[in-house]
Amino acid sequence: MSTLCPPPSPAVAKTEIALSGESPLLAATFAYWDNILGPRVRHIWAPKTEQLLLSDGEITFLANHTLNGEILRNAESGAIDVKFFVLSEKGVIIVSLIFDGNWNGDRSTYGLSIILPQTELSFYLPLHRVCVDRLTHIIRKGRIWMHKERQENFQKIVLEGTERMEDQGQSIIPMLTGEVIPVMELLSSMKSHSVPEEIDIADTVLNDDDIGDSCHEGFLLNAISSHLQTCGCSVVVGSSAEKVNKIVRTLCLFLTPAERKCSRLCEAESSFKYESGLFVQGLLKDSTGSFVLPFRQVMYAPYPTTHIDVDVNTVKQMPPCHEHIYNQRRYMRSELAAFWRATSEEDVAQDTVIYTDESFTPDLNIFQDVLHRDTLVKAFLDQVFHLKPGLSLRSTFLAQFLLVLHRKALTLIKYIEDDTQKGKKPFKSLRNLKIDLDLTAEGDLNIIMALAEKIKPGLHSFIFGRPFYTSVQERDVLMTF
Amino acid sequence: MISAPDVVAFTKEDEYEEEPYNEPALPEEYSVPLFPFASQGANPWSKLSGAKFSRDFILISEFSEQVGPQPLLTIPNDTKVFGTFDLNYFSLRIMSVDYQASFVGHPPGSAYPKLNFVEDSKVVLGDSKEGAFAYVHHLTLYDLEARGFVRPFCMAYISADQHKIMQQFQELSAEFSKASECLKTGNRKAFAGELEKKLKDLDYTRTVLHMETEIQKKANDKGFYSSQAIEKANELASVEKSIIEHQDLLKQIRSYPRRKSKGSDLCSRETEYTQDRPSQAATTSDPEESADTDRYTCRPAYTPKLIKAKSTKCFDKKLKTLEELCDTDYFTQTLAQLSHIERMFRGDLCYLLTSQIDRALLKQQHVTNFLFEDFAEADDRAVVRQESAPAEPSQDRPPSRSLEKCPIPQVLISVGSYRSSVESVLIKMEQELGDEEYKEVEGTESGSFDPQDNLDCLDMDMKGSISSGESIEVLGTEKATSVLSKSDSLGSLTVPLSPQVVRSKAVSHRTISEDSIEVLSTCPSEALIPDDFKASYPSAINEEESYADDGKGAIHFQVGTSPPEPGEAEEGSVENTPLQTDASCCIGKETGGPQVPLSSPALTLSDEEGVVSTPPQRSRQKDQGFHVDFAMENSNLSSRDHSSEGFPAYELDPSHLLASQDGSKTSLDDYSDSTSCVSSVASTSSDRMPSSAHPTGPSSERHKKRAGQNALKFIRQYPFAHPAIYSLLSGRTLVVLGEEEAMVRKLVTALSIFVPNYGCCAKPVKHWVSSPLHISDFQKWKLIGLQRAVSPAGTGALHALSRYSRYTSVLDLDRKTLRCPLYRGTLVPRLADRRTHIRRGSTYYMHVQSVLAQLCAKAFLYTFCHHLHLPTRGREAEAAAASRQASFLQLSLGLVNEDVKVVQYLAELLRLHYTQEHPGAIQPTLRFDYVPSFLYKI
Repeated sequence: MSTLCPPPSPAVAKTEIALSGESPLLAATFAYWDNILGPRVRHIWAPKTEQLLLSDGEITFLANHTLNGEILRNAESGAIDVKFFVLSEKGVIIVSLIFDGNWNGDRSTYGLSIILPQTELSFYLPLHRVCVDRLTHIIRKGRIWMHKERQENFQKIVLEGTERMEDQGQSIIPMLTGEVIPVMELLSSMKSHSVPEEIDIADTVLNDDDIGDSCHEGFLLNAISSHLQTCGCSVVVGSSAEKVNKIVRTLCLFLTPAERKCSRLCEAESSFKYESGLFVQGLLKDSTGSFVLPFRQVMYAPYPTTHIDVDVNTVKQMPPCHEHIYNQRRYMRSELAAFWRATSEEDVAQDTVIYTDESFTPDLNIFQDVLHRDTLVKAFLDQVFHLKPGLSLRSTFLAQFLLVLHRKALTLIKYIEDDTQKGKKPFKSLRNLKIDLDLTAEGDLNIIMALAEKIKPGLHSFIFGRPFYTSVQERDVLMTF
Repeated sequence: MISAPDVVAFTKEDEYEEEPYNEPALPEEYSVPLFPFASQGANPWSKLSGAKFSRDFILISEFSEQVGPQPLLTIPNDTKVFGTFDLNYFSLRIMSVDYQASFVGHPPGSAYPKLNFVEDSKVVLGDSKEGAFAYVHHLTLYDLEARGFVRPFCMAYISADQHKIMQQFQELSAEFSKASECLKTGNRKAFAGELEKKLKDLDYTRTVLHMETEIQKKANDKGFYSSQAIEKANELASVEKSIIEHQDLLKQIRSYPRRKSKGSDLCSRETEYTQDRPSQAATTSDPEESADTDRYTCRPAYTPKLIKAKSTKCFDKKLKTLEELCDTDYFTQTLAQLSHIERMFRGDLCYLLTSQIDRALLKQQHVTNFLFEDFAEADDRAVVRQESAPAEPSQDRPPSRSLEKCPIPQVLISVGSYRSSVESVLIKMEQELGDEEYKEVEGTESGSFDPQDNLDCLDMDMKGSISSGESIEVLGTEKATSVLSKSDSLGSLTVPLSPQVVRSKAVSHRTISEDSIEVLSTCPSEALIPDDFKASYPSAINEEESYADDGKGAIHFQVGTSPPEPGEAEEGSVENTPLQTDASCCIGKETGGPQVPLSSPALTLSDEEGVVSTPPQRSRQKDQGFHVDFAMENSNLSSRDHSSEGFPAYELDPSHLLASQDGSKTSLDDYSDSTSCVSSVASTSSDRMPSSAHPTGPSSERHKKRAGQNALKFIRQYPFAHPAIYSLLSGRTLVVLGEEEAMVRKLVTALSIFVPNYGCCAKPVKHWVSSPLHISDFQKWKLIGLQRAVSPAGTGALHALSRYSRYTSVLDLDRKTLRCPLYRGTLVPRLADRRTHIRRGSTYYMHVQSVLAQLCAKAFLYTFCHHLHLPTRGREAEAAAASRQASFLQLSLGLVNEDVKVVQYLAELLRLHYTQEHPGAIQPTLRFDYVPSFLYKI
């Protein structure tokens, strides 16, 4: 490191975080590659517990390992690479995000890591994408700030002729803290309230004697249909935790076991925060009967979301996947650009910097009514209640339904793959596809497309040619075929 | 709804802007691309094309103490696979860190070197610039000559798809752990062997040194030691120490803690060295292990060498290769396991994911899986099912053997009520010869049995009873055959006729016509009917009635399965067993006919529940005896038939059908205008179940692709593909007739994807037959490839075919004609649209699988929809139930016309499978439909 770098110290700064529940996370670390001393740990975040889970020495040892070998780092410009370790000898798993950045005048390699016990491997893996996506984005922001800080410091040094060692490079830590703590809280809440891998159908609406017994038929149809159209990503809000959780479990029936483990039930007494990236989450309204849904985080979810209010039986959905991704990217770029332009630390506080970006005006009306009707879910709901409840008949029938959906999705992917020679040619025959695969109902196409999008990301954008079509434009395209 | 402050700022009247990129220059490296695939050609497949290697491969690397990280081998060992990808660089990257970080060597305070049995580390990392991502499995092998006795290795699965690595992490980890365990086990054996050799060398050296010292002692009588003697003494001491060290190492390696095998079958042969084992004599319980151990321990050929005092640990030595570090067998196994991993994870992630989801979902569908799923998968699932089957019978389940083995659905229902009408029609297997009518037939058949005569009898019997437009379904299962064949006499299946049929019989004696088949064709280019299709047999039935009558005017015959005691079947069963509430769930009825559940030995029926409305009456049989004589195979044939393609002996010796066959007479019961006749010919013991491989399965990807491609060609070339597929889906045997074997086989393979299976064994498909068909063939096979030959034998085959042609569909490949019932549904067009734009066979196969899965769901719903099949009493109630079922099929399932029959047939198979004594060994049913056939021509 250059002279601007603070001298290495055996005592690593540490932030202890008090969590309400059990924390599966042992620690989080921020390390950097020192050109003389090699990997060094800069900061440790650890949950505040009575029992010492990992000593600082052990954490430092592990964190150093995450940067080992990164002297050979060969990455694309701006890449944030993910490394994943399962170190059985130490009984830990480590997730590291490795990136290059300019800090205090030197370009170096950094690693933000979270450490969990190895026993939590199966708990963590379904949540890997959520954690990585969130940490990746905070790194993007932090990296910009590091760069800006270097410029400012340099200017100050030139102007004042003095070095302010104590201030340099500090801002990245609070910024990272701003996301590390929520990730810890998320993992903690998932530990206590995640949806189980296997759901008993008796705990769901599908166990009713008849359709409409516990919720309105049209509402259930809309909810499931929209849930499938938005890639299985839904937010269920309501005043009754029991009612919310019943719908959450019902929707989770249509997910894979791994996706269920990435879904969260509603807390009975107090509400969780909305967490971006979960598949289904139940949220409790406050005493005034409202729930604050953060626009930014909803936008940052990997898939569009269905909003279901069990109190008033409303179902709203976000635009289709390709449009959602396009909006999300625009939002991210605007946010990062705003950081780039920000002039002070106050300006870069989360969720405020975006105000300064006047060039970006997102469509706030992101939740719309479910417009596309389907025949697949409708037929399923019409038929499943013919089977006697309380037995495994309905579960079997549900499995058959899901099997059909998955097979249709795979057939659709293969159809497009054949037709376009694996993307070498544009796809022009949507009408043929709909007829050949019996997906003439738009809702059906949306459901199968959403499923296909999950297993073949980017398919939706590819089919509709230009990925930034709005839903309206897309509908026009669909209708013209 | 959205009330967060971060959105308030956006509340502007502006239009949704088209170009938001006028922000100040944020360096692109700090931003995110607007389109995820923009930089790579914007398609979901292009991200994999950035890498320098063509497909995923496995790399084994070592951190050599002499040259540093180096690649050792790749799997597959083909330079085309990894192309220009720099293996050296990547080895450097993945081996640059000692992730295991465990101490090996002389620990502080320890007199001897210690071996640490370190656990493997797993790392996922990548090189985003090269587009290479890897799952890296680090392991340590032992080498006596290596520094610290350890050699760090790693096995890396390298892919261009990062998500694939992470999403398959647990599977990759499990598979690589197996390979690693295997390699390490072999290494421990080799290491122990090496140590033992070294100990022998040391021992020999010690002896030599000792002798030399003694000689020097004797030679030296001055009373003091020379410097040479001191040197020798030191050398001896050094050897002594070395012996102790090596003995300690040997002890350590033998005391390797026996860990859980973690499901690794690869190392099942491993018998670890234990501490208490004698050092020289390998006394393992496993003889193979002993042999292996002997290779290292008691090898007499090994001659000890003298070890020089100087250490050999220097850089000019040659390190052992990976193969030398490991026992040969284990090394070979490891490579095999790695090849297996490479194959297992080969291909696009989306196919891997979907197949995993598919498997998981199919596990929940044991009830319907057998119909159209692959056998290999079905077998796997069967194994899983056996392993995971709950030991204790559920309260929800009847104490039936079959249901205990079938975990889903757990329906509270009497098995008796699930008994298919195919089995349950109270048809008695009449072994007695007292029946006068039997005697008459027997007179002609006993002695040397001629199947042709037997068939004549069949037609002769039928012609007098079938009225115009009535349909006859003859279903047979093997049970009856085997039971019948046990008897030396001609067995017969007697079915009482209901008065209703007697009435119809009385009024509808048909005129026998020479050209009995009316041929209609919807094809524009209708041509003359080939002679092959003309009913030349004098007893043929004129079927001028419309197919539309088949529902109400059909006569279904059912020849019941073989109850051990015929009396039980007709009497005890009716009275003794109460039905449980959900008895109605499983239909137990034939189309339009009364529901007559089977009276199996273990299961009886309740008359009170009204399920059995017409108990069989022996006296009626005599009066109304209506005989169909089946030529049944003897039990030997039956069992032989089960060994290849489900029935190998049959395949090998097709002519056996004509030999040593017992005729069996079947008296058919007629319940109403629409009665099923089922002959059950089931194997009586489970050991007769098909046990060997079969050509139709397991279906490889290649097979699927070919089958799909040929099926696609078929539906595009033949305008009458729909009725042909309908025949297969509705259980009507389709015979593909042709001269060229290859062509016939090809088409049969293609069409086999539409054939519902009986159980988790071979599909009822016979690819090629050159001998005349027999009635039992139709019982076993639902799709048959038949040779058209000019030889006398071939003429016989055609003659036999023409005899049965009214009960089967015949597709003549040479003349491009199809003769089968008309189809007017909507289901098959979705399955086989000749104008489809699907291009590839594999895609079409997937499409078919998805439509068939939908069809299975409908059949499942129809089968297990409890209110549809409520027990009924009296004819009015029966009519109401029938109407309810018809209404359900049409309104709830959206089925029209002949589609109903398809679902009913599948439901029938589901019922049979569900209620089977031996799940997976469902008896093939013989079903003849007397419905008008039509001739289609191109």
